Amino acid sequence: MVASTFGRSGGRILAIAGKEVLHIRRDPRTLYLALAMPVVMLVLFGFGISFDVDHLELAVVDQDGTWASRELVRQFTASKEFVVSTESPSPEQALRDARRGHVVAVLVLPKGFARAVSSGGAQVQLLVDGADGNTATQVLAKAQALIQVASPRLAGEGAPLPAPPVEVRIRTLFNPGGRSALFVVPGLAAYLLAIVAVLMTALTVAREWERGSMEQLFATPVGRMEIVVGKLLPYLCIGLAQVLLVLTAGAWVFSVPIRGSLPVLGLGALLFLIGMLGQGLLISVVTRNQVVATQVATLTSMLPSMLLSGFIFPISNLPAPLRLLSTLIPARYFVSVLRGVLLRGNGLEVLWPQLGALALFALLILAAAMARFQRRLD
Amino acid sequence: MSAAETRDLELRDVRRSFGATQALRGVSLAVRQGEVYGLVGPDGAGKTTAMRILSGLLRPHEGSATVLGVDPAHPRGEARERLGLVPQRNTLYGDLSVDENLHFFASLFGLSRPDFEARRERLLHITRLGRFTERRADALSGGMYKKLALACALLHRPRVLLLDEPTNGVDPVSRRELWELLYGLVHEGMTLLVSTPYMDEAARCHRVGLLYEGQLIAEGEPRALARAHGVSPSDFESVFLAIIARRDGRAA
Ligand SMILES: Nc1ncnc2c1ncn2[C@@H]1O[C@H](COP(=O)(O)OP(=O)(O)OP(=O)(O)O)[C@@H](O)[C@H]1O
Ligand SMILES: [Mg+2]
Repeated sequence: MVASTFGRSGGRILAIAGKEVLHIRRDPRTLYLALAMPVVMLVLFGFGISFDVDHLELAVVDQDGTWASRELVRQFTASKEFVVSTESPSPEQALRDARRGHVVAVLVLPKGFARAVSSGGAQVQLLVDGADGNTATQVLAKAQALIQVASPRLAGEGAPLPAPPVEVRIRTLFNPGGRSALFVVPGLAAYLLAIVAVLMTALTVAREWERGSMEQLFATPVGRMEIVVGKLLPYLCIGLAQVLLVLTAGAWVFSVPIRGSLPVLGLGALLFLIGMLGQGLLISVVTRNQVVATQVATLTSMLPSMLLSGFIFPISNLPAPLRLLSTLIPARYFVSVLRGVLLRGNGLEVLWPQLGALALFALLILAAAMARFQRRLD
Repeated sequence: MSAAETRDLELRDVRRSFGATQALRGVSLAVRQGEVYGLVGPDGAGKTTAMRILSGLLRPHEGSATVLGVDPAHPRGEARERLGLVPQRNTLYGDLSVDENLHFFASLFGLSRPDFEARRERLLHITRLGRFTERRADALSGGMYKKLALACALLHRPRVLLLDEPTNGVDPVSRRELWELLYGLVHEGMTLLVSTPYMDEAARCHRVGLLYEGQLIAEGEPRALARAHGVSPSDFESVFLAIIARRDGRAA
């Protein structure tokens, strides 16, 4: 008897899930959007940052005035990533100039640079404007890459370089954007999952209310739980596919490593997804209207998971009230789990509080949604 | 209790309001087994509200409802296993085909594969939808859509069937077809509660209840009601108008 009750319940869940798959197949635009979005966003955020910082203005202080020092400056400008806006005799003068213009960094080539190059221990000084943390990171990465390329050439002193100089495409070759991708990919994963999971469930459940099919469902023996599980199951799968897609793209294109425990990452993704699906469910049960549900879902998933998750702004940089608010945002914990596992190699022993927070959120929001989701029309 | 006295559907002094709107103001009615009961009334009379209470979708604020002896809103859902509902609105899945809709509802009612095949065959035959199994529900005509909704509600062989304005938006020929189909079901022992705003359809029922502003203002066999008000049964519309006129006159 128990077994047959369970079997019937399972059959109904599968029926609801199967119907949802049919809906998705009939109108695959949402699915395409869900799967194309990660790729587009990765390109936008991953490469976008390095696109924006071409033609960085550089102030040069060449105190050496040798072939080697001039060659290094030429290497900087040959890539088109830097342009020399001023040349100053002293760093102090350069800084004064820098404050007035758009100079993002001052390159100081000290006296004796050429000699140090040939004896193998040359140093240059790079003063970077830290006001814009992002650009500063980019400048450092680019400068390091440039100097790395230029070093062997400078060491082989005297050998005349072919003119015009070979253009070095450092951007793609050394992918300075990849450095920020390490931080972008986890945040992006949380952001995309939040939007898609909340929006898709909010829409699909609100549609049943709006079109009246909920009335038909309630007149059959199907239970609330069966409706919820059946409707959420396909989106859980889509969400997990998205996580895989983002992580694969991150690993492939930006060499984001996976240093920690994969099961912990999987558990984090699952708990986060269930929480987001629960949020979408709650929104649709309360609004029962697709247009309103879309607006509320977008607002409550996109903004917090972008602004309060540590994706764009580090949590520690947030003003105190927002930092407090961010403790209520599950995306924040998921980003921590992702960064912990991917970059820091953390496991359960470090990340259990974050996983606990995700589980708590999922539990509370599902309980709230189920309390509102009665098998009745009033 | 004899079969004729078995009450398959019952409302006892049911009151239900939505905010300030009193949709049902103390309605009592009973539908016997094998009976076709017509709930007749103008727009907003409370027909849909009564149907929803009987199918467990709404709870009465006062009074009670029973379907086959049990509370239709009970979470265990005993009543739902033996009740079929064709709602007033088009509530099937428009992007799914005729077959997919049938299959989906059969799964919800837990029909076995061979049972479903047999039911599908039979229902497609009596609704004459056999040629349209691949067609999307949205692409069906009004009459065919209603027949599909009926087929979906009949898959699990319900004992009682609630039909909320099943002939709304259906052409006269299809309407007659639909009624013939319904009589066929009653022949098999099914109990029917049909709501309709069309007075001519009331004459097709065994018994009718006239619902007006949330109250049942008259009830009885169509012929007897017509006779009592001195109009011909073929002109049932006048019966209704006469009753309303007398009632409003008394109230004034
Ligand atoms: N969910 C609801 N919220 C608010 N008011 C409602 C709701 N359902 C019904 N009503 C109101 O209750 C009254 C009765 O409505 P009901 O739908 O039961 O009438 P009806 O006889 O089915 O009418 P129709 O022939 O137009 O379908 C109407 O005034 C209607 O506006
Ligand atoms: Mg109605």
